[in-house]
Amino acid sequence: MPKHPRWPIHLILIFVSALMLIPFIWVLKTSLSGENIFAYPPSIFPRNPHLFYYVDVWYAIPFFRYLVNSVIVSAVVVLANIFFNSMAGYALTRDFPAKKTMILLFLSCMMIPFQVTIIPAYLITKKLALLNSYLGMALPVCSTIICIFVFKASFEAIPKSLIDAARIDGLSEWKIVWRILLPLSKSAIATNVILAFIWSWNNFLWPLIIIRDQEMQTLPLGLSRFLTVVEDTTGALYAFCIMVLLPGLILFLLAQKEFIAGLTTGAAKG
Amino acid sequence: MRNRHAFSEMSPMAFLNPDFFKRNRTRQLFLIWFFLTPSLVIFTLYRIIPLFWNGVLSFQFWSPYQESQFAGFAHYEEMFFYDDVFWKVLWNTILLMASAPIGIALALLIAVLVNTPIRGRNVYRTIVFMSYPVMTVAVGIIWQWLYNEKVGLINYVLISLGILQKGIPFLGNFTLALPCVILASIWQVIGFYMIILLGGLQNIDPSLYEVAAVDGANAWNRFWKITLPLLKPLIFLCFVIGIINSFTAFDLIFVMTQGGPGHATDLLITRIYNVAFKLSKFDYAAAMTVVNFLFFLGLTLLANKLAGGEAGAVEMER
Repeated sequence: MPKHPRWPIHLILIFVSALMLIPFIWVLKTSLSGENIFAYPPSIFPRNPHLFYYVDVWYAIPFFRYLVNSVIVSAVVVLANIFFNSMAGYALTRDFPAKKTMILLFLSCMMIPFQVTIIPAYLITKKLALLNSYLGMALPVCSTIICIFVFKASFEAIPKSLIDAARIDGLSEWKIVWRILLPLSKSAIATNVILAFIWSWNNFLWPLIIIRDQEMQTLPLGLSRFLTVVEDTTGALYAFCIMVLLPGLILFLLAQKEFIAGLTTGAAKG
Repeated sequence: MRNRHAFSEMSPMAFLNPDFFKRNRTRQLFLIWFFLTPSLVIFTLYRIIPLFWNGVLSFQFWSPYQESQFAGFAHYEEMFFYDDVFWKVLWNTILLMASAPIGIALALLIAVLVNTPIRGRNVYRTIVFMSYPVMTVAVGIIWQWLYNEKVGLINYVLISLGILQKGIPFLGNFTLALPCVILASIWQVIGFYMIILLGGLQNIDPSLYEVAAVDGANAWNRFWKITLPLLKPLIFLCFVIGIINSFTAFDLIFVMTQGGPGHATDLLITRIYNVAFKLSKFDYAAAMTVVNFLFFLGLTLLANKLAGGEAGAVEMER
């Protein structure tokens, strides 16, 4: 193949990257300086960066409360996902009557987006007396079908002879999962942790429906509420944005490979 | 050492007992179902029961304050024949879905470019994908600010370039509001399309291109005759994600426009939320949900069929 010059490719990609990055940079800049488009001469870097707005967010609104709520819900969701998904994933690697039906059931559940179940889901949560509670927020996402299949695939890749040997040695099923299969499925666990965390951390619609109490609001709820009470020129709102964006971004940058692997396996599995 | 110990605890004669495997089997079956139970309970409680309950609710007159009554098709009749807002939000939802191919085409271009052996391609991939995992509410806030009439960056740039004389309130404009929201949603999801398509590109056997090049096919032909057909299932998968995006766009709309002005950016999902939780008309919202679900299901199955294979959906859980 003839060798093409590389610079047009770089040019296009730099342009695309700029479009993707500018909103982030713009928010970061404003959160650090409060200067908006009014800065003259215009620049992409803040001139007198300070953390005043971050302090402002901390004191002006119950940021810490939102943060604690978000962390609790995400922690419950992540832990529950690892437990429940690995258990179900393991069960699906074994032979049992109705296995085909179960897999089909899970796959069809995947065709029911959570958003189309919100009304009865709200009524059910109300019946369970879980409105306005951490468990109520966490429960619907405590197990995710994609991640069950991520675990299933990971367990199936482990040689069967290893499991048989463990069984002959008298290990219980429970111990087989915890002592043998899970330690060998680190990347499946990582995928689970990341996906479950991002989904629950960013979740907005469901908490919006079931949380009435300001004390129980999570970060996205607090953020959208904050939007309605501040002038949109203040730097505090954007400091708030940066503070909620960072955890997701950092986690993604640290574990990019597992994150993408999880999303694409899920996509291909269907 | 541990395992050896565990083994010695069992009677060595256990295997000779004909009941051993049978009893073991029952216990294993019990455990399998025990392992499946938590997930099953969650999916039954929050997917299966709600789906049917929702269907039932759509045929009833019901509110939290009154006994349920059979309504027949009353809600559907009202929706299809008397509710202009329903048709408006349905049309908006279709427009949002129809915008997916634009995002997919752009993502395909980027995927092809970052698949070439250039320096720093991993950095480009990361940057393009970075907008996907971040909180949609924050993305909505950032974009509604970029679109702002007085202090928005977009107006500022357009005025500086001499394209506009004075700022436009993009999100307050009846014709521009929806395209603007759609642009923000494409901005967020494009990295996800790119990652999926990139995975497909990396799976294509390079020798196919070499053979085609020897046969005299130019880059353009190679793209149309090899790359595109082989990527077909993944392109449809992206389209399914685009369809699902019409649900997940709720966060964006809620923050950016609240469905306004008028109902210019109202989608089915935002309308359902408002009717159910703001107007307390759960029964009517349930009927709209049924339509939304059937519409979604039909399109997804169609896309699956056209893809000629199994195209799943990963974003459902969001």
